Amino acid sequence: MIRTTIALFAFALVLCGLIIFRPFADGEVNTADRLGAPVDIEVTRAVTTDIEALVRATETATTPTAVVEAPRRVDVARPDTDDTRLSDMTNNVLAELGFAGVEPVTTNSQLQRQSTSDILAGIEAATGQHSVLDEHDSFEAIVIAALRAGETDESIDRIVNDAAANGVAVPEILVTSDGRVDTSVMLANIVTQAQMAAGAAAPAIPEVSPDDVQGMEVRVVQRANDDVEARFYTVQTGDSLGAISIKFFGVITHYEEIFEANKGLLSSPDRIRVGQRLVIPQI
Amino acid sequence: MNIASVKGVTRLAVSLSALVIGSAVEAQDVRITTFKSDSTFTLNGRTFTVSRDQNRDNILTGEFARTSRACPPNCLQPMTAADGVATVGELEVLDFLENEVTDGRGLLLDTRGADAFSSSSILGAVNVPYATLGSDNRYRTDILLALGAVRTSNGALDFQNAMSLTLFSGGVWSSDARTAVSNLIESGYPPEKLFYYRGGLQAWMHVGLTTQDSANSN
Repeated sequence: MIRTTIALFAFALVLCGLIIFRPFADGEVNTADRLGAPVDIEVTRAVTTDIEALVRATETATTPTAVVEAPRRVDVARPDTDDTRLSDMTNNVLAELGFAGVEPVTTNSQLQRQSTSDILAGIEAATGQHSVLDEHDSFEAIVIAALRAGETDESIDRIVNDAAANGVAVPEILVTSDGRVDTSVMLANIVTQAQMAAGAAAPAIPEVSPDDVQGMEVRVVQRANDDVEARFYTVQTGDSLGAISIKFFGVITHYEEIFEANKGLLSSPDRIRVGQRLVIPQI
Repeated sequence: MNIASVKGVTRLAVSLSALVIGSAVEAQDVRITTFKSDSTFTLNGRTFTVSRDQNRDNILTGEFARTSRACPPNCLQPMTAADGVATVGELEVLDFLENEVTDGRGLLLDTRGADAFSSSSILGAVNVPYATLGSDNRYRTDILLALGAVRTSNGALDFQNAMSLTLFSGGVWSSDARTAVSNLIESGYPPEKLFYYRGGLQAWMHVGLTTQDSANSN
């Protein structure tokens, strides 16, 4: 009887030990939920890393011989930009300077100015407090004043960059990779649009080759039916998207196609960085 | 007198007394509350009076009688516009007009577009479309200064003496007022100076309160 009791007691002890210490359990390794889906968020993050690595691998794969300089992650201070199109701004500069056949167009900036002054009039009617719209000079007005004064290119460059440093918003495609305003593109475009307004043909698409354009590469990409020449351009110091458009297409207006083709790389047209390798689309 | 004529007289008496009671009710105001028939406030020296439409057969027609606007964009809005911003009803709006607006310490803002505002709005409201309070309006600071913000020496805005604002839009189906509230808070406007009239112009019109339109036609 005592033996049976001791045996049962020992069995109970062993059973308790098994329950407490669970020597055969898998531990906390398996965190899958009841549906069998892994709940560990690390898994998702690992996948993201893989995609990034894959993208990098693809980029390298398309340029097996080129040494890809990693775009500089250290961002430069950039001028404020707004959604005024350079072509609209130039058009208004020409209209203001009295070019025949150039009619001013309404920019977003002017629309906002108009609606804001309407609102201020409404508030003034209700409060009796006179409020004036801040007369900060627009980029357009600064350029017009500089051209009227017959400033040299160098001093126009200084004037517009000083204005940008003081918070005057500039068109996006004039922002260079080193955070300045691309005055030469702005002036070149004024000349181009003036010539076109006077009836001249649009500038021809220039012949470019990697021999005379630094940073340009041409690769032959094999397709199923034919070989396609793909053109790439590595952003140099002082380049703006407008400058790159002129370099390859003769006019600023094709910046849109360049931007569209490189949307993965460029968050907006003013965010171009030295060393970025841009695809130059076929127009 | 036979039974039929008695019945006739009784019927006449009943209908007469019904007429008396009826005309007594007819003479009663459609008041704002039991003790308040109208609300008077001044805006920049001009006096305005808000009351309710006295025609008890009046029903809404046109734009503000609509029940089903497409959502999105016209989706139902939550009770609270943002943390710290009180939601108010018609009586609080009237109180705000009588006190803050009359004293020049507050403004009632219609946050809808200029076209909607020009067709009609709450009496005493000022039009500040929600989009013009967004950070992409480069003249937003000018609006904030007109609302009483002060530019400090370091260029930042000080809202300490800025006006209290009650904001509304078309109705509970419009996000305009809430977007305006979040735009203002994002610009630095103190939430405790903001009030959200969720019912908007539709709720206002639905109880026959005076609009700019009805005030002009009177």
